[in-house]
Amino acid sequence: MPEAIYLDHAATTPVRPEVREAMEPFFGPRFGNPSSLHRWGREARVALDEARERVAACLGARADEICFTSGGTESDNLAVLGAWRARRAQGRNAVVSSPIEHKAVLAAVHQAAKEGADERLCAMTRDCTVDQSSFDRLVDSDVAVASVMWVNNEVGTIQPIEQLATVAHERGVFFHTDAVQAFGKVSIDASVVPFDILSISGHKIGAPKGCGAIFVRRGTVIEPLFHGGTQDRGRRPGTENVAAAVGLARAAQLTLAERAEECRRLTALRDRLEEAILAAVPDAIVHGRGARRAPHISSISVPGTESESLLMALDLQGIACSAGSACQSGSVTPSHVLSACGVRADIANAAIRMSLGSLTTDAGIERVTEVFPALIRKARGLAPVSRAQAVGA
Amino acid sequence: MKERVLVAMSGGVDSSVAAALLVEQGYEVVGATMKLFCYGDDVPDRPCCSLDSINDARRVCQQLGVPHYVLNLESAFGRDVVSNFVDEYARGRTPIPCVRCNTFTKFRDLLRKADGIDARWIATGHYAQVVDGAMHRGLDPRKDQSYFLWGIDRDVVRRMLLPVGGRTKVETRAVAHRLGLEVVAEKTESQDICFVPDGDHTRILRQRLGDNAPALSTGPLLLSDGTSVGTHQGFARYTIGQRRGLPGGFREAMYVVDIRPEQRAVVIGPRTELLGRGVIARELNWLAEPPAMGAQLAIQVRHRAPAAAAEVVRITPDEIELALDEPVAAITPGQSLVLYDGTQVVGGGIIEASRRSRASLPILAA
Repeated sequence: MPEAIYLDHAATTPVRPEVREAMEPFFGPRFGNPSSLHRWGREARVALDEARERVAACLGARADEICFTSGGTESDNLAVLGAWRARRAQGRNAVVSSPIEHKAVLAAVHQAAKEGADERLCAMTRDCTVDQSSFDRLVDSDVAVASVMWVNNEVGTIQPIEQLATVAHERGVFFHTDAVQAFGKVSIDASVVPFDILSISGHKIGAPKGCGAIFVRRGTVIEPLFHGGTQDRGRRPGTENVAAAVGLARAAQLTLAERAEECRRLTALRDRLEEAILAAVPDAIVHGRGARRAPHISSISVPGTESESLLMALDLQGIACSAGSACQSGSVTPSHVLSACGVRADIANAAIRMSLGSLTTDAGIERVTEVFPALIRKARGLAPVSRAQAVGA
Repeated sequence: MKERVLVAMSGGVDSSVAAALLVEQGYEVVGATMKLFCYGDDVPDRPCCSLDSINDARRVCQQLGVPHYVLNLESAFGRDVVSNFVDEYARGRTPIPCVRCNTFTKFRDLLRKADGIDARWIATGHYAQVVDGAMHRGLDPRKDQSYFLWGIDRDVVRRMLLPVGGRTKVETRAVAHRLGLEVVAEKTESQDICFVPDGDHTRILRQRLGDNAPALSTGPLLLSDGTSVGTHQGFARYTIGQRRGLPGGFREAMYVVDIRPEQRAVVIGPRTELLGRGVIARELNWLAEPPAMGAQLAIQVRHRAPAAAAEVVRITPDEIELALDEPVAAITPGQSLVLYDGTQVVGGGIIEASRRSRASLPILAA
């Protein structure tokens, strides 16, 4: 088996050594509960507060605007459901979102609808960007919260968050953005862009799985999902995961410090990858290529192939990619993102997502540019099996 | 260079052992579990096809040190298997979805995936044997599954490996223990149809056909002379040879002997009316040279039914008719007719009709 090439950084990333090191003491001597009044408690509290400050600094926010969560899914649910539940009784029963959101947002929006919300999903342009005029029409004074992701996790397109947040604000609508794929890839500054709520996840940026954060702007009142103690101002009861918070803060700082350089590097690698594939397979489709994209995601469909078989063949060559977002069973399901952007079903079913990151090297990309076209040629050489209507007919 | 084999793994003991034996035999094994239908919230856990089964297959592969993939074949399975299942019941027949699943999903679609990864072979945990490109019964007569495999393309059979077909179930379980596959070694077997979770096939018929479909609506219960003896709640609830759910008060035990969908009628009668001396099948598939007129073969008309001696009395590319030396009970349209020469599967078809005697008119369901 040749050396393995991991091209699935949008799914998850390895924990950085610096992050492990920062977390280590909190599994050992600094094990205290931040709510305790004694020295162990104080020590943990200080570490937690510092972590909160660091994350806030990374987002252009104030420390009290940051709440630690179990990850992107919890942050997204808290944002959508928490905002809608807090405002539904004030004549704001509608929720606006886009059809290309991560399932964490979409399912939360559907849940709100089940509980009585008016669900509105805006239209998309063909290059996987929110249609701003559609968004503008849907966001009215009866809307509690509008949620649009900053960077799409399957295609990598950057959504016009500043414009959307501004429109929402004009109508008194809370604006949430899922920035799980955006953090470290685009500039995020709460003092510049008027979003009210923002979600980030630890394991996409070198922190462990199971940690994340939510930014909630001062004055933005949302209902908690959990009920219990008063931790995190009651927004997120439960003893804080101090080690995870420290790890997330460290990962966020490192990611941000390296952002400009890493984005340049990844952009160059991604462009090389796409150009090589397009040169070898001229009819390959790079989704969202005409739009502004984050540098780490490339979604490619080759007509006449199917992602499931291609992913197996790539994996057997040691190249790890995905079709889009993963399902619990590990099976490949058609992408709701590509369908929403008007991509034909057979093209959507051929999509391969390659996502670059810390483990991506020149040599790795070089090898993918050789293997991928070869596998495509092979896949296309196989005539699809004709399907008789009857057994043996 | 080791030869690559794509093994269809259900998460059960048979296919797990199949994969393990192939690893032992030096093949480069790639495991795959087919996701055939959606796991709805209302479906209770099943020994086969559930998310747990996928996880079990993945764990076995991890233990064997081989890759594992989940193949999403839901739409193909829905089109090739589930839709036909519903259509057949609507026509008053009793389908075997496993046959079509083997023909289309398990083997033809699997072979396509195998081609995509340069695998020369495909394998499953079926109890049947492939010898020199010919299919034979499994060694364990209680487990033999060749009855379900007649529809596979002959080209596919040449690329099939069936590592447990030459063993008994007891031996298979012993191998599982020997290899430490405790996750699956004592798993119970799935007996029902995988997409009919509780054995009530009318649920999916209701979903697909609607509550008012003729097959699910009240109709007459008749004797074979046309006498009405009551009503039934939908002919799709009945199959030829069934006794359950029939009215009592007759001198002899009564069976369903015919289903007449155009009248919505279910015909019942004593055992003698259940016996057939001839069988007609269509949708033929041959795994050996098709038999000639007058050929003497053994046939099987139902899973686990004993083989019966028969003679080919008519054969065209589309249809075959055989005359039976001894009468056979409950020859049921929609079930499979499988022809054997000794242990070898010659081919098969879908039963279209039976004949009471060599000279009588065929009894057609549709």
